[in-house]
Amino acid sequence: MATEMAEQEASPRLGLDMDRIGQAAALDADGDPVFEVEDLNVFYGDFLAVQGATFTVYEHEITAMIGPSGCGKTTVLRCFNRMNDLIPIARVEGRVDFRNVSIYDPRVDPVEVRRRIGMVFQKPNPFPKSIYDNIAFGPRVTGMAKKKSELDDIVERSLRRAALWDEVQDRLKDSALGLSGGQQQRLCIARAIAVDPDVLLMDEPCSALDPIATARIEDLMHEIKNDYTIVIVTHNMQQAARISNRTAFFTAQLDSTSDRRCGLLVEYDRTETIFSNPSDERTENYVTGRFG
Amino acid sequence: MAKARLIGDRTNRVMVQAMERRSTDVRGRIFQISLLVTLLISLFILAVLIVDVVVDAWGVLTGRPGGFLNGTMRSVSHDNKLGVHQALVGTFWIAVFVAVLAFPIGIGAAIWLEEYAPKNRFTRFIELNIRNLAGVPSIVYGLLGLFYFVNTLGDLTGGKSIASAGITLAILVLPIVIITAQEAIRAVPQGLKEGAYGVGATKWTMIRSQVLPYAAPGILTGTLLSMSRGIGEAAPILLVGAVTGRLGTDPAFLDFSAINAEAFMAMPVIIVEWVQNSGRDPGFAEAAAAAIVVLLVFVILMNAAAILMRNHFEKKRG
Repeated sequence: MATEMAEQEASPRLGLDMDRIGQAAALDADGDPVFEVEDLNVFYGDFLAVQGATFTVYEHEITAMIGPSGCGKTTVLRCFNRMNDLIPIARVEGRVDFRNVSIYDPRVDPVEVRRRIGMVFQKPNPFPKSIYDNIAFGPRVTGMAKKKSELDDIVERSLRRAALWDEVQDRLKDSALGLSGGQQQRLCIARAIAVDPDVLLMDEPCSALDPIATARIEDLMHEIKNDYTIVIVTHNMQQAARISNRTAFFTAQLDSTSDRRCGLLVEYDRTETIFSNPSDERTENYVTGRFG
Repeated sequence: MAKARLIGDRTNRVMVQAMERRSTDVRGRIFQISLLVTLLISLFILAVLIVDVVVDAWGVLTGRPGGFLNGTMRSVSHDNKLGVHQALVGTFWIAVFVAVLAFPIGIGAAIWLEEYAPKNRFTRFIELNIRNLAGVPSIVYGLLGLFYFVNTLGDLTGGKSIASAGITLAILVLPIVIITAQEAIRAVPQGLKEGAYGVGATKWTMIRSQVLPYAAPGILTGTLLSMSRGIGEAAPILLVGAVTGRLGTDPAFLDFSAINAEAFMAMPVIIVEWVQNSGRDPGFAEAAAAAIVVLLVFVILMNAAAILMRNHFEKKRG
């Protein structure tokens, strides 16, 4: 019922979007929209890094963003939890709605946005603290857990979800920096889900990992996507094809007036469509390996 | 076919020759050796200084170490009560003033500049001026201390007192504290900050839980080096009232009334004084050397404490 209503509400706007992207991404939408992005422009100083991106991210799906270097996919990802606020010269125009709340509204607290929209970074970035304290950090600072026993529960649950518990349960007090790269990245995923977010943003989470660690992370993403909505930036097209429900293809387009490259959303659709029957020639060239 | 093989053989031979040729990189060696020489020069100068001072001081330090540490300023060098107690008390309190004033203010300013300040022309101007202030001759700070802390604020500081000198030296080292703390804070990996923000930390929580622990070792090293510099300064504290002649009182280390009492003494000043006295009374040269050793030990002890604390923080940092 709720889904139907959300679809009805969303469809007029999505209708507009579809003209833009050419393909019927939302026709058989099966979840609520989580992010609705419309005419998103991101500037770094005077430089337009991303121009006019419009697309919708749906609940309990894995949405992949692919494209060559410098196409703005990470920049777009970092708009979803206002991480771009940390770059003083970054400026965002256009609409980014998270569950019908405009997250760039002046009344919105970015701290609260980031608590609901967790992030896993390209390079594993465990805090130089114990494994336990890494996971407990978020629940502590957000005041989620008052008692030690609650905190213990959250730590165990998060590590189990991230498929790391068995490997670290005997050394929770050891430094997280002693873990391998793949374990560190799963720790970062556990840390992100410890605050019980709605969405997980992943910025090339496997680019520093070997194929085995990558496979573990991908398995993990499959397991947790029923509880979270995942948006992932990846350089690895096979990864996008393996794990995602929908794929956004970005490219860098040379702006003839400023002679600089600017990120552009070329096509957004169901992943099988993007990889088997893309509507845009640039997408086809990219996914077939002729370019980028 | 045969020709291709021939070319292959030749290429291989050339490659083997090239790899087996151990040509010495002459310029590289020269560069390496000259770097070593520069290091040896600095070490040599330091060693000469220390050996020279310790040899001169040997008689006093082995003959009556307790008497020298507890003794006071005297007019003749063979007086058995000649010693550095008054100066040690002065220097100790000046160090306390620097620690209490310069460190929190300096570290606070550094945090603001690195984490809160907008990057605009105004803050760039401020940072430039902090760098300039670090290069201002210390005597200028002495004048500042004389005008403001001795004269204008004389009622509070007691005029030419330890308090005036302590505040003056705190201001002297403040720019250095800010700069070193800024550098330590800047070295905190962006990933740690983003990681903390990513799970919903506020800016203050992020700074407290990530930036400060990570930067603590660097901040500590920098601030204690600046402290060592501060307590070695003679010129500015002469201006704000360090006594060069005889000082009537000999307060204990924890005698708080001495802090804003008129007239005090400090280690660098007593060293200057005794070196000057050695013209008419050669025995003072030995006493000056002994005072230098005492000041060196004081600084080394402070640095050792800093290193211990830094190791502690680094261990916590993981």
